[in-house]
Amino acid sequence: MAGATRPRTVGERVADADASAGKALLVAAGALFWGWLVVSWVNRWLGGAIAPVGEPFVAPDAVESAFAAVPGLAAVAADAAFVVELSPVLAQGTWLTVVITGVSLVCGFFIAVPLAVARVYGRFSAWLSLGYTELLRGTPLLAQLFVLYYGLNLAASVPASLSGVFPRDVVWVAILGFTLNGAAYQAEYIRGAVESVDEGQITAGRAIGLSKIESIYYVVLPQALRYAIPSWTNEFVYLIKYSSLAGFITVPELYYRANQVATDTFRYTAVFLILGAMYLALVLTASKFMERVDARVAIPGLGANRER
Amino acid sequence: MTDGDFLRVSDVSKWYGDEQVLDEVSFGMDRGDVTVLIGPSGSGKSTMLRCVNRLAEAQEGSITLDGEEVLSPDTDVDELRREVGMVFQSFNLFAHLSAVGNVALGPRRVLDLSENEARERAANQLERVGLADQLDSYPAELSGGQQQRVGIARALAMEPKLMLFDEPTSALDPELIGEVLEVMRSLVDEGMTMLVVTHEMSFARAVADEVVFLDDGRVVERGPPEQLFERPENERTGRFLERIASHD
Ligand SMILES: Nc1ncnc2c1ncn2[C@@H]1O[C@H](COP(=O)(O)OP(=O)(O)OP(=O)(O)O)[C@@H](O)[C@H]1O
Ligand SMILES: [Mg+2]
Repeated sequence: MAGATRPRTVGERVADADASAGKALLVAAGALFWGWLVVSWVNRWLGGAIAPVGEPFVAPDAVESAFAAVPGLAAVAADAAFVVELSPVLAQGTWLTVVITGVSLVCGFFIAVPLAVARVYGRFSAWLSLGYTELLRGTPLLAQLFVLYYGLNLAASVPASLSGVFPRDVVWVAILGFTLNGAAYQAEYIRGAVESVDEGQITAGRAIGLSKIESIYYVVLPQALRYAIPSWTNEFVYLIKYSSLAGFITVPELYYRANQVATDTFRYTAVFLILGAMYLALVLTASKFMERVDARVAIPGLGANRER
Repeated sequence: MTDGDFLRVSDVSKWYGDEQVLDEVSFGMDRGDVTVLIGPSGSGKSTMLRCVNRLAEAQEGSITLDGEEVLSPDTDVDELRREVGMVFQSFNLFAHLSAVGNVALGPRRVLDLSENEARERAANQLERVGLADQLDSYPAELSGGQQQRVGIARALAMEPKLMLFDEPTSALDPELIGEVLEVMRSLVDEGMTMLVVTHEMSFARAVADEVVFLDDGRVVERGPPEQLFERPENERTGRFLERIASHD
């Protein structure tokens, strides 16, 4: 507290100004990215109210001539036009990537918490939990997806009421695969955090008459889940990137679509650079978001100390 | 000496694996009594307390509280713990809850009071331990002495018949011990029945009805503080008392 009022040095002020300029740039880029995505999705739901579905919001030709008019940008005019031309496909792919990642992450979380608790506090269930996590973490994710898709042919058993939600039934198979796999990884992160909660916390809970399960629910988990956030964020970030494996079972997510375009146009470098930028934007959003959440739920008195 | 029978511990023995940590321990307390357990490290003091609220399971013997057998398999352990408050050496406050949250959790989730009733009861208990101005502070924001007083309030909020204290002041800086002992004294004045493990001899001398000296899991000697402290009958008791006196 005492240091908060200390006048800052010139160096610090310059660094602060740089940092806030960088931050403003990042926020602007993020706003542009998400604005474009959301408008694209809304446009598609509304059946092309803003621009015809599948068409970019601005004409690629117009972009090309605008870029060509600026001396420094003339060299990339053709590429810019290409990106704009690609944008509807990218938005569509990103939509699926976001949905698959988000749904799998949330569903996986609700499996991971019991897995982690069983692992730490269970007896027989600890072995079950261990078996599950080792099996899913010890085998390639792609192999797991193939087993679900080709081996069990699960796409064929998606109920009709669900099949209409996404363009392809196979999306459900991907979500299932990522949920089951992600749960194993999330469980590992959460288990570590559960173990880090002092044993005295449960003892104190039991001493006031809470059952063991209640002590875990009201005392251990609220702490453990907070402590797990930084490492859990890794799984969030990995899942965004791993979700590209869904392309291998023909889910038309971001990677799948970009790959298609690249094969059609032979502009591999440009396409995969853009693809990389898209994933980077998603990953940065996820980690910044989780940083906010972490700060928001920090325990007063402890949060400050845990700050890096 | 006549043994009280509000809490009666009779021939309690406990093993951890092959190691016997309690060996036929017996003592008794009347309602409103204060009994102080003393003894060297590892003598089984904490284990004895934990057997009373079944945080540890004794293999042999009997413990009755208000006429009910505590060690019977039919005993509802959660019910028992509602009636027996416990205060820990390391406070064990719920780190993610404010002072009020810590004290209100039991009333809310165990006694099923409404959120408002539970918070009100918590606020009253915190006031009772002199923390009316720290209701919304989190454990990490409180001094050790304040944390331990929250710990006491948390136990009191369940309106226990018996309070167990396991070295409530031994983790505290010397200047913070007084405020905790003061709260404990006020509980004694209110007539609370208290079983206390402590090496605060002046506290024991002032408030204890009986002091029990445990060594190696056995009751070596017990009696009123003036007798045990001034004229210990057993040589081991004398040596132990000398040792802690020289530490003060
Ligand atoms: N959970 C446990 N598992 C195995 N042994 C234990 C356990 N708890 C205590 N013990 C052993 O039981 C004996 C008595 O321990 P206890 O904690 O009751 O002693 P204490 O008198 O409270 O000591 P201190 O003054 O150090 O707190 C010790 O030898 C200890 O190692
Ligand atoms: Mg002890």
